[in-house]
Amino acid sequence: MSDKFKKILLLDDEGFILQVISKALGREGFECMVASSVVQAIDILQQETPDIILSDYQMPIINGFDFRKIVLRDKRWRTIPFVFFTSVNDPEHIQTGLDMQVVDYIHKDTPIPMVVSKINNIIGTIKRQHEKSIQEIRTAAEALNLRSVPAQIPVIEGYNLRFLYQSFEDCPGGDFIDFIQIDGKYTFAVLGDVMGKKWGAWFFSFNFLSYIRSAIRLCVFDGDFSTASILQKINRVIVPDPVLGDVLSTLSLLMIEHETGKVHYSGAGDLPLVWYKAVQNECFSVESSGLLLGVLPDGQYDEKIINLQTGDQLIVVSDGLIDSETPDGKKSDYDLFFKKMNTVLGKKESFDLIKNVTFSTENSKEFVDDCSLIFIERK
Amino acid sequence: MIETLSRSGYLLVKIKIKEANLDVSDQFKTELINLIDQGETNLMVSFSDVAYVDSSFLGALVSVLKYAMAKQGSVSVVDLNKDIKNLFTLIRMNKVFKVYNTEQDVFA
Repeated sequence: MSDKFKKILLLDDEGFILQVISKALGREGFECMVASSVVQAIDILQQETPDIILSDYQMPIINGFDFRKIVLRDKRWRTIPFVFFTSVNDPEHIQTGLDMQVVDYIHKDTPIPMVVSKINNIIGTIKRQHEKSIQEIRTAAEALNLRSVPAQIPVIEGYNLRFLYQSFEDCPGGDFIDFIQIDGKYTFAVLGDVMGKKWGAWFFSFNFLSYIRSAIRLCVFDGDFSTASILQKINRVIVPDPVLGDVLSTLSLLMIEHETGKVHYSGAGDLPLVWYKAVQNECFSVESSGLLLGVLPDGQYDEKIINLQTGDQLIVVSDGLIDSETPDGKKSDYDLFFKKMNTVLGKKESFDLIKNVTFSTENSKEFVDDCSLIFIERK
Repeated sequence: MIETLSRSGYLLVKIKIKEANLDVSDQFKTELINLIDQGETNLMVSFSDVAYVDSSFLGALVSVLKYAMAKQGSVSVVDLNKDIKNLFTLIRMNKVFKVYNTEQDVFA
């Protein structure tokens, strides 16, 4: 079984039962969280979300049925598969339990290996259903040609323009990337991150992208090439939007002037860019001042000009790249990310190093969100 | 998930979880909006128990702020750990929220 779907909450007031079951399930690779009372179980649920709950019925003060009712009332917990594990075998009682939207009712006399098999089967079914649902959404998205990252990278003479995108737990998230070329002279690079995770954020990314694409095209049509002005116009539309105004998104907006190497940059609640200056052989961070899209009518957007010289590199990232799972829990650390980039930028094969090291299968396991990166190099 | 303490001029809302993420963001938003609807329009959110905050939770916090502002209220934050404080500065949330190091600083 994969690392996902392996956390079990065991609730029983008999310490011996807890010990035997958790030991047996532990041998099967499950992580067991044990509680000897409903109060303890709720404390655990406040901190952790198990993949399945195995609960006794007969317990002092609050019994298993009442615990089930508490779980069903809370929308964070109601979808967690719930199994009664009890010695009560009165048919009417069993029926009452089964009627409480539980996936199974296991008698305590059931041999332990059989209990383990049942749990394995339930979790296996949930996992397959989860994968099937994801596949169905993915198929539908492909059929509708919905993409939050481009299928192709534009080619700009004299530049190496690339991007990387890594989904989180095989679900697309709120990150979106786009490139818009204007008259073969300018290229806009867009990297945003809708606040939220997985599918919920992913669906909104298309709405944001639609506004952004329209705003860029309309502004350019009117002769407005200022990234700050474009960003402010996008924000002005999003703030009163009844849906997006409540969703919020970061955005890094860059416009590359092909001929001069000038990069105009404005950001909305985004992370600083990392600029490797070849002449100084050193990395610098470039910060913008603007607020997240949709927060306030005046987004306070400024515009930075980055003069890319031959050999210079520039990277734009989403916040997934600064978050990681550490032995002490999850952590956000931009400085650590900047230090890592300092070791890989400025090399002939910088992009491949980022791709093969930072985005490697092994390192991706530490990601706690989807991650995106745009790489711009002036040759 | 939250604990509230009445103060003079505002309500202190303590987040009682270590990881403020997507799993709890909706509930957090609902609970704070309920408080605002009950007339508690000036909230101070304490992160003293929080070790990590993700973008979903920050989104919920901003939504609460917008809701409070529409009712002439305010939302400030206090007791952010070093990482969360850095994140607030990096993505300019410190321009959106009034950030206090400790509750005592409110009266300083």
